[in-house]
Amino acid sequence: MTNSPGSRPVTRRTALQVGVLGAGLSLDQYLRATEARSERATDRSAVLVFLKGGPSHQDTFDLKPEAPAEYRGQFRPINTSIDGIRICEHLPRLAQIADRYTIVRGITHNLADHGIGTRYLLTGNRPTPAIEYPMYGSVVSHELPARADLPAFVSIDRPLEGPGFLGAEYGPLSTGEKPQYLRPFRVRGISLGEGISMARYRSRHALSRDLDAFYQGLDEQDDQVRSLDRFGQKAFRMISSARSREAFDLTAEPRREADRFGKHEFGQSLLMTARLIEAGVRFVTVILEDWDTHQNNFSLLGSKLLPPLDQGLAAFLSRLQERGLLESTSVLVTGEFGRTPKVNARGGRDHWARAMCSLLAGAGIDTGQVVGATNEKAEAPLADGYTPDDLAATFYRAIGIDPRMEFEANVGRPITLVRDGTPIRSAIH
Amino acid sequence: MREWSSRPLCLIVLLSLPGTLGVVASAADDEAANTIVERFAAANAEQAVPDFQRHVMPLIGQLGCNGRQCHGSFQGRGGLQLSLFGYDFSQDHEALTGPSDSESGRRINPREPAESLLLRKATAAVDHEGGRRVEPGSWQYHVLRRWIALGGKGPQSTSTLDRLEVAPAVLTWPTQGPPRSLQVTAVWSDGTREVVTALARARSNDDAVAAVQAGRGTVEPVGFGDTHVVFFYDNGITAVPIRVADPNRPVLPWPDDPIGTPIDDRVHAQLRDLGIVPSPVCDDSEFLRRASIDLTGTLPEPQEVRRFLADSDPGKRIRKIEELLERPAFAAWWATKLCDFTGCNPAQQAELGQRTAQQWYLWMVRRLQEKTPYDKIVAGILLATSRESDQSYGDYAAEVSAYFRDEQPADFSSRELMPHYWSRRNLEDPESKGLAVAHSFLGIRLQCAQCHKHPWDQWTQEDFRQFSRFFAPVKFGVSPESREPYGQLAQQIGLRVRGENGAAVRDEHLVRARKGDVIPWREVYLQPPEREQQLELLRSGKVTIKAGGDPRRELMDWLRTPDNPWFARTIVNRVWASCFHAGIVNPPDDLNPANPPSNPELLDWLANQFVAHNYDLQWLLREITRSATWQRSARSNATNQNDRRHFSRAIPRRLPAEVVYDGIKQAVCGSDQHRNVREDLTRRAVGHLSMRMAGTYAMHVFGKPQRSGACDCERVNEPSLLQAIFLQNDPLVYLLLEESQWLDEIGRHTAADEQQLRAWIDEAWLRFVARPPRSPEIERALAHLQQAASPREGMEDLLWSLLNTREFVLNH
Repeated sequence: MTNSPGSRPVTRRTALQVGVLGAGLSLDQYLRATEARSERATDRSAVLVFLKGGPSHQDTFDLKPEAPAEYRGQFRPINTSIDGIRICEHLPRLAQIADRYTIVRGITHNLADHGIGTRYLLTGNRPTPAIEYPMYGSVVSHELPARADLPAFVSIDRPLEGPGFLGAEYGPLSTGEKPQYLRPFRVRGISLGEGISMARYRSRHALSRDLDAFYQGLDEQDDQVRSLDRFGQKAFRMISSARSREAFDLTAEPRREADRFGKHEFGQSLLMTARLIEAGVRFVTVILEDWDTHQNNFSLLGSKLLPPLDQGLAAFLSRLQERGLLESTSVLVTGEFGRTPKVNARGGRDHWARAMCSLLAGAGIDTGQVVGATNEKAEAPLADGYTPDDLAATFYRAIGIDPRMEFEANVGRPITLVRDGTPIRSAIH
Repeated sequence: MREWSSRPLCLIVLLSLPGTLGVVASAADDEAANTIVERFAAANAEQAVPDFQRHVMPLIGQLGCNGRQCHGSFQGRGGLQLSLFGYDFSQDHEALTGPSDSESGRRINPREPAESLLLRKATAAVDHEGGRRVEPGSWQYHVLRRWIALGGKGPQSTSTLDRLEVAPAVLTWPTQGPPRSLQVTAVWSDGTREVVTALARARSNDDAVAAVQAGRGTVEPVGFGDTHVVFFYDNGITAVPIRVADPNRPVLPWPDDPIGTPIDDRVHAQLRDLGIVPSPVCDDSEFLRRASIDLTGTLPEPQEVRRFLADSDPGKRIRKIEELLERPAFAAWWATKLCDFTGCNPAQQAELGQRTAQQWYLWMVRRLQEKTPYDKIVAGILLATSRESDQSYGDYAAEVSAYFRDEQPADFSSRELMPHYWSRRNLEDPESKGLAVAHSFLGIRLQCAQCHKHPWDQWTQEDFRQFSRFFAPVKFGVSPESREPYGQLAQQIGLRVRGENGAAVRDEHLVRARKGDVIPWREVYLQPPEREQQLELLRSGKVTIKAGGDPRRELMDWLRTPDNPWFARTIVNRVWASCFHAGIVNPPDDLNPANPPSNPELLDWLANQFVAHNYDLQWLLREITRSATWQRSARSNATNQNDRRHFSRAIPRRLPAEVVYDGIKQAVCGSDQHRNVREDLTRRAVGHLSMRMAGTYAMHVFGKPQRSGACDCERVNEPSLLQAIFLQNDPLVYLLLEESQWLDEIGRHTAADEQQLRAWIDEAWLRFVARPPRSPEIERALAHLQQAASPREGMEDLLWSLLNTREFVLNH
């Protein structure tokens, strides 16, 4: 794991602070100053919708109706609210709001393996044994201070990739399960236990802080020691405020709103995501699984995968739009790779990393367009295409984080956030 | 919590080998004479004869052509498909010499070599997606051209690569300096030697310390520290230690160690080389807490701490270690660890998941209690069938039914063989069995070799296939000769069976067994090979399996040979990793030549001595915990604060999930319950509850492994936000405090004087952190207790507060 004092960005801001430290602040004061920084809220947030398993690009947002039958498959394109943009017939709701997102086609890489492909797409850097890059949510929660009484980064339901060199404290709070339609949901332990008053809890916490002296001065030596402290503080603030509990509480939503998102876990996860973003969580990941359609690609997509994606995502983008939050929330929808252009003997499509597509929406994104393209059989990008690095650089830029920023990781040299990527100019404002 | 720490098993890797992409071979190279570079320089090339296996394919690999991203990908690229990293020589030869879309219809054209599609692509004379890989006229060009001109012959030699040698064997820089060169020599089984520096792939294990240029063998220091540069050629892999010293490293006096063991000798030799001064050994209470946790998964009790601190005998640490090794919790905790390594998972048992897993666990406990040598424990698993060789099916069914009898049940753990390893549902085919055995007992990850040559390790698909065949005879179900008696028993109890292979016993059938009836059980049995066969043991020689024999016996014999490279190393390294923050090889279940140990002398010594001491796990733990190295303090100094590889200080580790749970129960138990809590394992998470608690919320939050995949990384010891929420506010924590018998005792006092309060404070510290409180701590606690509504309420607050200190949840 990471060794502190690493993982601080080498930015002017830190340089100034370290300068102050040099001028006589104790380490403790310095830490409290950094803590104070994270008290200040920002209004920027971001969401990653991960379509786990490698969604078929040519059956979703990059259809090739002119290709031979064994390539184009069974689905037909439909028109969208934007002239000239056509997407899969099983995505009618998303078709109506094509002005709210941008389709990135012709993303290409060569890691057609779920493990490393995922790691690549969620960090924007080719995996290497020398250094573990942090996933988006960890970077965002590192860079954008969260409210003190809310987790900065939530994963519904499992974490995807890790905080890498930033250290465990920038990992997500994982809900462990997905919310279900009209069922109460709670993250265990975030509501103060029955029979204990807030005053007593606070006094216990103060006592505990005072007694936790053994590691004083060792905080910055080891990642585990430091992150335990930060987690303890964050847990205290979350438990002693109602904000987290209320953000996770889907019963506060009217029935018709729950219906709009759909009677499936994916829709309800996105409804919870909307609530979390509205409350001030900086980054949420939502997973929609089972896109690894090696067989029965079309029946799986048509009946099981595309309808919830269409309903849930359309409702989510609409809600954020209605509440003015698309102005401050950037959204990335992606899988780890695309699928083979030619349908295989089992009616499936296999892994294919040379071409894939993703969606970008919300803050910082110039929406309502398609950028990039693939060839006539959706096998490869026309021209150079985009890399996952470019996609990451674009997403970070949209969020307002410089993809070229450097971190002082524990490898003894500055690490560039996105090593090889360049933001896709036409996709961003 | 689990996902991100479980590194994708093999492919994480591949990660572009440095130097294979984007490097265009240059004509000018300055290798010594007689190397391939010299022989194929333009002036000499006409006399030179390249060999397909020794030169052509390694060159193609070195140029990056058979990487996953290019022609090595599963569907090939641009119509040409090569084996990933070039291991299938005949297939690759066929691909390279076979038909193509070129005018000549072939990739090579011996009559006009320069016109061959292969060369025109490689030099980008025609459109090539991979760009120009070879400069026309370079030695690389001539290797390919001459091979084509001489007819494009396939693999000729019957000799195989014996080893790779690299000189010098170590590279050290006293400070950052100019690059230096390494020479890589291939030694073949026929005795021939050839310098292959220019043909080997290369990688730096930490490119922040040193960068390596493949094709030239030059290493350049770019930072300070130590790492390895790894060379790959044919099937050979060799790692060269690289060390770049920091001349500005502070110089400190060596601590005054009261101890010096053989482990310390090996660790200190390396630390002195690196200029790292270790931390001093820890104090007595730190020692006691650490030893109790690492050896028995249990916190020390207050009286034990007091006695230990008061003891003035200089040999008290050694005595304490001996005492801990004899405790019941020692067997319980290490059985949990052995169950981690062997994959004892209730969800994957063939039937009665909880009960079967429990039998497995208790079988391990008994082996540890009886001090069974590790090799014998493994033999009991590896060679297991459900029936003893001369047992009839009827006797077998009666025996297993008797384990479940309500009255005087028979004891599964007294069986010599433990067959549940083989009957797991995720281990049905021989390949899965092979993967599991390689992981459990050899610390080898064969996953990659299932589909292609392992990119880092030496394993090929053929190695994997051969290894899997050892397990082909192992079956689970109803053996052909037992079908009749099985069918009769099934009929008697109304067990519905489809097909010939029996059915799982469920709770409704178990009722009959509980009453004392015999019910039908499926079994792990052998369907031995009908003909004699030869099987290859992971490149360690062939063994002959007689017709009717159990190949696993040959495998077990091989594991027990003293020079087996993996068997002893894997377990000593895993035990080491359980006692420190990392293994000597880390991750501990990835023994491969490209992932060398941080201290090879130490690992070799431990493994050799472990075998010499008859695979005695207690000897191993005794040797580790007696060392100054294991007893180091967590307080760092200026030379070792960044050291996480060389064991120069203790690195605090979060308590394992089971220990957190048991520890809380222990810390709040009644004053007269300490001994009971320590010794009654039926109610401990490190004891009998281990299996039942697997999958509960508390165990999930603190990272108890599910043991569902072959990876030691399933046990997670990272802190998380949810753990903090759990410790502060989980209903379970409130319940444990509410039901605390110690708090009940305190609750009987309606008031308490200062002396009484001080005594409770002292006791609380001993219970949670195994040390007496310091005076500011006492004063702070006293102030809180004196203003509390009642002694119980105040003390409950204090226990909650101690529970939420880092000192409690870390093993330091």
